[in-house]
Amino acid sequence: MSGHTHVDGHLPHEPEKATLEGRNKVLGFWLFLGGETVLFGTLFSAFLALRHQVGDGNPTPMELFDLKIVALATFILLTSSLTSVFAIQSMHTNKVKPMIWWLIITVLFGLAFLGLEIYEFYHYVHEGHKFSTSAFSTSFYTLVGFHGAHVFFGVLWISILIAQIFKKGLNVVTAPKVYVAGMYWHFIDVVWVFIFTVVYLMGKVG
Amino acid sequence: MANQHSAAEEKKHHKHEGPKKHIIAFIFSILLTVIAFAMVAAGEINTTFIYFMLVLMAILQVFVQMGFWMHMKDRGHVFPIVGILSGVVIVFTIVIMAEYWAWW
Repeated sequence: MSGHTHVDGHLPHEPEKATLEGRNKVLGFWLFLGGETVLFGTLFSAFLALRHQVGDGNPTPMELFDLKIVALATFILLTSSLTSVFAIQSMHTNKVKPMIWWLIITVLFGLAFLGLEIYEFYHYVHEGHKFSTSAFSTSFYTLVGFHGAHVFFGVLWISILIAQIFKKGLNVVTAPKVYVAGMYWHFIDVVWVFIFTVVYLMGKVG
Repeated sequence: MANQHSAAEEKKHHKHEGPKKHIIAFIFSILLTVIAFAMVAAGEINTTFIYFMLVLMAILQVFVQMGFWMHMKDRGHVFPIVGILSGVVIVFTIVIMAEYWAWW
């Protein structure tokens, strides 16, 4: 592996693609994201098919959703996508410290998003919108909760990566891991774009 | 592998870097989001039109996110595009099927 670093000890400019292993990791991750697309697609299809089955006396999406919280959560997640891009850019210019800081900021945004989502679900349960209230509520919690679980996993993953970079530094082995984690984070953001569009905004329109 | 990169190519890579285009992409995605939320918040607009616009905003947003931030517009991304597109085709099939299967 050391043969892939430059003579002066610097990393190549795209360290995540400097080795065959790194390139395969990125390609393999795209295949995984293709599978994730199908997974979320099935959850979306279930939600779309069941979203009008609210039942008698249960809160409807129009009564339930608060656009302000959703808008805030959206801006948090979009901004975290930008900070993860900055982390990858710092990696490409071989600046390890800024990269770690951008990753930490990304994780903090992820935690803020999760906090908002927990608050939101807690609020909904008090409004009588529980997991087993109606077909709508079950498909809602399954879809949005699954996305939240992905955010949580991403937070854990990137935190562990930060610890590993601290320990082992940035090299052609650790760089693909950071790159792939960044891709994962963007993907989570893309899924959220469809959730706020299909679940919240279309739910509010009716 | 590093040796295969010519000096000119590395210079080109450097030129591609820089936060500017990412900040522009970010502003675009924020703008698309604001438009989507504002339309729904304003209400009183034709529902079919809002649905159409919301889906359009979401698709544009995906192009910004995947194209710029996941580097799909860069060269050497044929496999990822084929992979994601095949996923999207399956997803559309499932969504359309679920809608009709459930309420036909």
